[in-house]
Amino acid sequence: MSSAEHSDFEIRDYLRTDLFPHFMCPGCGHGIALRALLWALHELGISMDKLALVSGIGCSGRTAAYVDTNTMHVTHGRPLAFATGLKLARPDLEVVVITGDGDCLAIGGNHLIHACRRNLDLTCVMLNNEVYGMTGGQVSPTTSNDRFTTTTPLGNHEPVFDACELAAAAGASLVGREITLQTPSLKDLFRAALSHRGFSFVEVISDCTEIFGRKNDLGNSTEMILKQKSAIRPESYGNVVDQPFRPGNWSTGILARNERPEYGTNYREHIAAKLAVAVKGHR
Amino acid sequence: MSRSSHSTAVAEHHDNALRDSAVATNVLVVGVGGQGVIMVSKVIALLCQQHQLQVKQSEVHGMAKRGGVVFSHVRFGEQVYSPTIPTGEADVILALEWAEGLRWLRYLNPHTGTFIADTQQIVPPFACCNRQPGGLSGYDQLTANEIRSQLPGTLALDAGGIAAELGNSKAANTVLLGALSTALEFPVEDWQSLIAAAVPPQTVEVNRRAFTTGREWALNPPASNAAESVTPVVLEPVRAPAELEITEAWCKGCDICVKVCPERCLLLNEREVVEISDPAACTGCRLCEWLCPDFAIRIHIQTVEAQV
Repeated sequence: MSSAEHSDFEIRDYLRTDLFPHFMCPGCGHGIALRALLWALHELGISMDKLALVSGIGCSGRTAAYVDTNTMHVTHGRPLAFATGLKLARPDLEVVVITGDGDCLAIGGNHLIHACRRNLDLTCVMLNNEVYGMTGGQVSPTTSNDRFTTTTPLGNHEPVFDACELAAAAGASLVGREITLQTPSLKDLFRAALSHRGFSFVEVISDCTEIFGRKNDLGNSTEMILKQKSAIRPESYGNVVDQPFRPGNWSTGILARNERPEYGTNYREHIAAKLAVAVKGHR
Repeated sequence: MSRSSHSTAVAEHHDNALRDSAVATNVLVVGVGGQGVIMVSKVIALLCQQHQLQVKQSEVHGMAKRGGVVFSHVRFGEQVYSPTIPTGEADVILALEWAEGLRWLRYLNPHTGTFIADTQQIVPPFACCNRQPGGLSGYDQLTANEIRSQLPGTLALDAGGIAAELGNSKAANTVLLGALSTALEFPVEDWQSLIAAAVPPQTVEVNRRAFTTGREWALNPPASNAAESVTPVVLEPVRAPAELEITEAWCKGCDICVKVCPERCLLLNEREVVEISDPAACTGCRLCEWLCPDFAIRIHIQTVEAQV
């Protein structure tokens, strides 16, 4: 538990405390995820002046507003597009995108796959609570089957997106998933993602008690986050047993990693070479 | 069955029970999982069989792999009826762990019984009555001297230490078998050959020496050895209790911290705001701080000097 000893980490140093209490519903897992993210940034010693948080619309998008750093609150589904521009213009910044399942996979699905494909040095944190919370509880691409939402009154019948498989297939160079209940593990995953050079995608299994849980009779927030724990399968188990010993379908931990060239560096080298040729030809 | 024949059966049964306790020798072997209690009782049982005695052995080793209690009743004699030893009738209690031995003392025959115990202490999780880091333990505080003043024949030896000196601390049970061999009348060679057959081949030599050392110790116990080797386990807290700071204005009463607290020392008050109900119970595990989505809980831990 040495990594869990964090007596020097004081989360209020990183928050805009004048905005508190925050707007999120009681028991919303987004707050826990935000703590893990700030804890990882603290451990890596990343200065708040050198950090940029880019977020879209939705409950997840609002979390960035509470952090006392450079924040960009942009259009629905497009935080990755804005972040790409920001990172290319200011490679010295550590750019972190906080997005939700609807924001990232539905409205911004196109931006996600192309961000993965380019492999720019960004960290994308997707807070997955299986629903569009802020906009009124509509179905999202990650809503499990037979779950009730305002737009699926008879139960969701659409196939479900596995965001991690999608990101890995599109070429993200680090893909991971964790639940909020295991905060130190989540922090370690964030650390790995932040220190990774290339596009890293982290899916955080969060809980929406008020909009999603209540409609589906999933109990209070404690019950929801404890249920998540019994539904996960840490990646380390994969090497030990052929068959998952739980029916759970969420593998957690670092799920994919590759060493593809980072787009920003590549791009600048490429441009410099082309410009040099052009200048030579002009003379 | 007529009344008279029934009463005859009862009388006969009673008679058997009396005879049984009169002729059978009772050895109770106790310890915790992994120490070799079953191996010890197996050696005793085989030895008795070799000497044409009837043996009954029964054991319990439920949670043994987790460091749980293991005990084995061994009864032998010309004729043995019951497989278990009645309270107060064990001729020998062989304890591989100190507190386990003390727990079973009421089985020992108070007049003629011999108590042979390893002074090695394995503190079970259940003894941790205070889960503050470095907190007090509920481990039995009786020392070997106190036991010896009540039971003069007691052999309390540091079998674990002796075995470690001989090169394998796992041979502690054989050291105790050596001590036991002085209380039961069987030839030393028979003990040795059975132990050699029961232990893994590469440890035969160390077990042979362990047996001899244990036997010699029991024949000439050092005068003050036991008093020195048992010191009660008393730990001073190494950390001050953690202090919880709750920002009431930020708490939304989601109840997560109350439900996840392993010490159950938080509650929601009538205003649906979290409150600490038992500040002394908090161990500073930080679960509530981590899982508070509203950042309303802060834990302050002051480290103090260990007082051990």
